[in-house]
Amino acid sequence: MADLAISTEKLVKTYGRNRGLAGLDLAVDTGEVYGFLGPNGAGKSTTIRLLLDLIRPTSGRVTVLGADPRRGGVALRRRIGYLAGDFVVDGRQTGQELLGYLANLRGGVPRRRIAELADRLDLDLSRKIKGLSKGNRQKIGVVQAFMHSPELLILDEPTSGLDPFLQQQFVAMVRAARAAGQTVFMSSHVMSEVQQTADRVGIIRDGRLLTVERVEELRERAVRRVEIHFAEPVPLAEFSALPGVSDATVDGSTLRCRLDGRADALVKAAARHTVVGLLSEEPDLEELFFSYYSTGEADRVSA
Amino acid sequence: MFLRNPFTKALFDARRSLLGWALAVTAVGSMYAAFWPSVQSPEMQQALAAYPKGVLEAFNYDDLTSAAGYLGSSVYGLLVPLLIVVFSVGAGTRAIAGDEEAGTLDLLLAHPVGRVRLAVQRYAALLVALAVIVTLLCLAMLALRGPAQFDGVTAGELAAITLQLLLFGGFFGALAFAVGAATGRKGLTLGISAGVAVLAYLANGVIPQVDGLAWAREVSPFHWYLGGDPLVNGVQLAGPLLLIATTSALLATGTWALTRRDVAT
Repeated sequence: MADLAISTEKLVKTYGRNRGLAGLDLAVDTGEVYGFLGPNGAGKSTTIRLLLDLIRPTSGRVTVLGADPRRGGVALRRRIGYLAGDFVVDGRQTGQELLGYLANLRGGVPRRRIAELADRLDLDLSRKIKGLSKGNRQKIGVVQAFMHSPELLILDEPTSGLDPFLQQQFVAMVRAARAAGQTVFMSSHVMSEVQQTADRVGIIRDGRLLTVERVEELRERAVRRVEIHFAEPVPLAEFSALPGVSDATVDGSTLRCRLDGRADALVKAAARHTVVGLLSEEPDLEELFFSYYSTGEADRVSA
Repeated sequence: MFLRNPFTKALFDARRSLLGWALAVTAVGSMYAAFWPSVQSPEMQQALAAYPKGVLEAFNYDDLTSAAGYLGSSVYGLLVPLLIVVFSVGAGTRAIAGDEEAGTLDLLLAHPVGRVRLAVQRYAALLVALAVIVTLLCLAMLALRGPAQFDGVTAGELAAITLQLLLFGGFFGALAFAVGAATGRKGLTLGISAGVAVLAYLANGVIPQVDGLAWAREVSPFHWYLGGDPLVNGVQLAGPLLLIATTSALLATGTWALTRRDVAT
């Protein structure tokens, strides 16, 4: 148990007659980046709020960094950084004031560290928060979650509202956190938000965990578009029947196809010709993710 | 320096509105006090004598012939306590329920801040803000004693009513604080607190005029605050103790409820 940063057992949370969580079993290893995926309303934020003791479970067990969130209380939350899905703060203060206050609540964070993070995200801390765009407010949220280098980062849809440049900065920050041994638990409703950084993804739907996958394995299994340029025209028949290859077309000396799974057979077949160029898209994991959603749907209908 | 903890942060955030409230309450009090020389005139006394006693009682105008009576009725009897109620209920509501409905309580409670600590510090900030307001009013009264001809009222007596006014405001602050901490709902908190304030006011001046309902005065925080005439007799025992006891009970209950419930998104 000691090497689990987060674990839940049969975690149930009901709101009135609504089910927030219906028996969630979660295990997040210490030091990993865990993507917590699910459609809106699946129970992601409910889970996160339970981890932080903002709400209390109806039944089941929660352990965060070895402690029960309620009993661990203040000492436990000192070791956690949290970014809410909708990061709202009183707008009548500057970013500097807010971050200074939050840093004091945590027993102090070096000013340099805050300035460095703000620089990295291109964030002006001297402005009143109400005058900032949604993206800039979100950056303040990112800074306050990361600034004290917590053992565990709990991030609820962290990059919503950030532009692509900042998303890249964010990815770098998550990777740096992972390299420093910090655990990152990150929720999202899109695979693309977590696939660059996550070691594993757990997919949640209707308050239950459907599956947990290693991103590496998902990549291997994912369908990707491949384009190979040859020195001379090639016969389509050599490729169309290869294992994992589908939708193959040959246009002069260019082969285009979809590749499902390992690339081995296709590469070996191509090697019999002179290969000029090879293009393989980053696999679209989103499709896999959607397939889970839809099987989830089917289960529910049949149940 | 002001951003060290929830207590100083609450005061820092309230600095502008606190200044406004302190000035407004002091201005209203001073204006009433400055009327005293003209109220003393025979014409005015005759005019007031013509009012039915019940009407005057309803407005806490018990005795308008002495300086202490006038100050107790006009300055400390009606508008000032009502302003203090409005301030305290507003501040008590904002302390937890307002923050929660705005969605800003989450971030704070996700930090290493215990709910009890937060509750205690937020209420303490409310009490300090109240103390600033009533003290400024008291200083203004002290300064006006000579010019407005009520030097018969001693500094000790003014201090006594100031303390009781502070406890009175503290009670309504605690009421709003407790309802807000227990429910997290701003509208509900304001409604309940305003309702209690109106009932308390009626129970002090109006309801006791009905035969057989004289006891209603004994359960009114307005009576706990003004009963026994602190401007004449100094700090009272029963009223302030009742205010402190009920305030403590409200704070304890509200904080206990807050530690047990879910924080709303």
